[in-house]
Amino acid sequence: MKGIYRILWKELVQVFRDRKLVFSTLVLPVFLMPVFMFGPSLLLNRLMQGAAEKRQEVAVAGLPEEALSALRQANLAPVAVEDPEGAVREGKYPAGVLYQEGVYRVYARLSGGLTEGQVVAGRVQSALQALKEAKVAEVLARRGMPVEVLQPFRVEVQNASPERERAGGLLGFLLPFFLVVFVLSGGQVVAVDATAGEKEKGTLEALLMAPVPLWQIALGKTLATVVMALLSGVAGLLGLALGGALAARYGGGILTETGQVLDLGGRVVLDGASFVALFLSASLLALFMGAVMVGLGLYARSYKEAQSYLAPLQLVALLPLLFLQFRGFLELETWHHLLPLFNVALLMDALLKGTATPAQAALAWGSTLVYAALALGFSVRVFAREEVVFRN
Amino acid sequence: MIEVIQLTKRYRTHRAVEGLSFRVNPGEVYALLGPNGAGKTTTLRVLATLVKPTAGTARVAGFDVGEAPLAVRQRLGLVNGGMRVYDRLTGREVLAFFAGFYGLQGQAFRQALDWVTGLLQMEEALDKKVMEMSTGMRQKVVIARAILHRPPVLLLDEATAGLDIFARRALLDFVKAYRDLGNTLVYSTHVMTEAEEVADRVGFLHQGRLVYEGTKTEALALGQGSLERAFIQAVKEAA
Repeated sequence: MKGIYRILWKELVQVFRDRKLVFSTLVLPVFLMPVFMFGPSLLLNRLMQGAAEKRQEVAVAGLPEEALSALRQANLAPVAVEDPEGAVREGKYPAGVLYQEGVYRVYARLSGGLTEGQVVAGRVQSALQALKEAKVAEVLARRGMPVEVLQPFRVEVQNASPERERAGGLLGFLLPFFLVVFVLSGGQVVAVDATAGEKEKGTLEALLMAPVPLWQIALGKTLATVVMALLSGVAGLLGLALGGALAARYGGGILTETGQVLDLGGRVVLDGASFVALFLSASLLALFMGAVMVGLGLYARSYKEAQSYLAPLQLVALLPLLFLQFRGFLELETWHHLLPLFNVALLMDALLKGTATPAQAALAWGSTLVYAALALGFSVRVFAREEVVFRN
Repeated sequence: MIEVIQLTKRYRTHRAVEGLSFRVNPGEVYALLGPNGAGKTTTLRVLATLVKPTAGTARVAGFDVGEAPLAVRQRLGLVNGGMRVYDRLTGREVLAFFAGFYGLQGQAFRQALDWVTGLLQMEEALDKKVMEMSTGMRQKVVIARAILHRPPVLLLDEATAGLDIFARRALLDFVKAYRDLGNTLVYSTHVMTEAEEVADRVGFLHQGRLVYEGTKTEALALGQGSLERAFIQAVKEAA
């Protein structure tokens, strides 16, 4: 068994002496994650706030005085033009309004992502809506009717999620997603270097000459992959936490394509047992994927070929996680907890929300351990195939 | 001691080695000679338990390569021209890493290290990272890795490939010195002049078959003083 430790040590020393690799795998994610996740929303918040507070010019035609007045009250500056739609299309004004036959037509360039025009159009719409409501209230008052007649009852939708589920928010999906992404990318670095890299550099033959069983070599390399994968996962999560802290302080969240900023929930409350369970889940996932990557890496003739095998593996591994978004529509059955990768993602999601059960954890861990053992068996078989080991 | 008995190795339809038999005694350098693709590397890989024979067998230091591969590896060292060691480790770390597989730790490792650094004159390689070493110094680390556990059997496969004149000379001197310690060596090369210097006996390998075997003196007589001419003569006679 000392052979396993020796190989693990050698692989990790080789990796940690490569400063560029350590920087790109373990340091960079900590700082890039906040920038990627929260930077756009923070920037957008500033821009939206600026657009909302700024006195914007609006192209108008045919508007009655009361509408012009409503726009001015909304901190907008109506400018009379002949053709508001044309003026907006040419980019002369962010928004325009045309009043014709009892209809206010608001123009803005609404395609091609979030624009200042959308913000101004919204302000115009709000100003005209307020004017409309004031006029309705005035008519009702003249007829001696209370304004409440327009709203006989209210409808309220309340969030009935348990407190921990509510606190988890979108992180329930994002944490497993990013953990898998970082586990795969961090593990890949060692897996490729320890297999195809050894072949390409000509060091593998010397290692195979050592009086140590093949399974110990495969396991040593897999464990090195697991260590790096977990460290990479921790770096990614640190980046996520750092981003979350910054977002909580300065306001922000995940920016969607429609410009909505999704609230992340902001805090994840984990008790000690859940934290250990989360770590164990990530470790088993890393063991499983590490063994697969070591096997595939050794099968490859070169670095390039190994990367060409592992890039699709990342996509395949992420596919089940995409379905995690739809977990609310699924009635979970036992076999869901046996599906590779999906089972770990489901368990992590449940741990974050405080809904995990011992049976679910046992199924996910047990099945992942079996998959890891099978993958390790695959790696050993690949190591034992001389036409693969010497085919470079 | 090495015994190769009717060894055959096929890769799918390609016959790399066919019915090969030879024997190498302790205190002897056996030069396995032939052009590229003759089957030399395959033969040595079978002896080193890295590939399995399709038919026949081989015994190294008394152990069958198929039945007891770990026991064979304990008693064997392999050096080939393309072999490298870990470039981010120092010479000392590389040797400590491999020594551990043979149970050489602590005092035993230090003694082995003293012996091998003296034999190969490689003190300056110990604390340098492999990536910072010259080609010759790297090759010394590769050789040191192979003999650190003092294997009674040493296989060298095109071991001088890429070496400069000084490193090549050091390696040839080492081969003779290691032979003189009573060890069994197989020296595989296509460079006949190297074999002329180090070999006690020679075997000519052509297209996977042993076409000639004899002492170096006999082979030189066949080739009128040249192993190269002897090889060509042996191939013609075998055809």
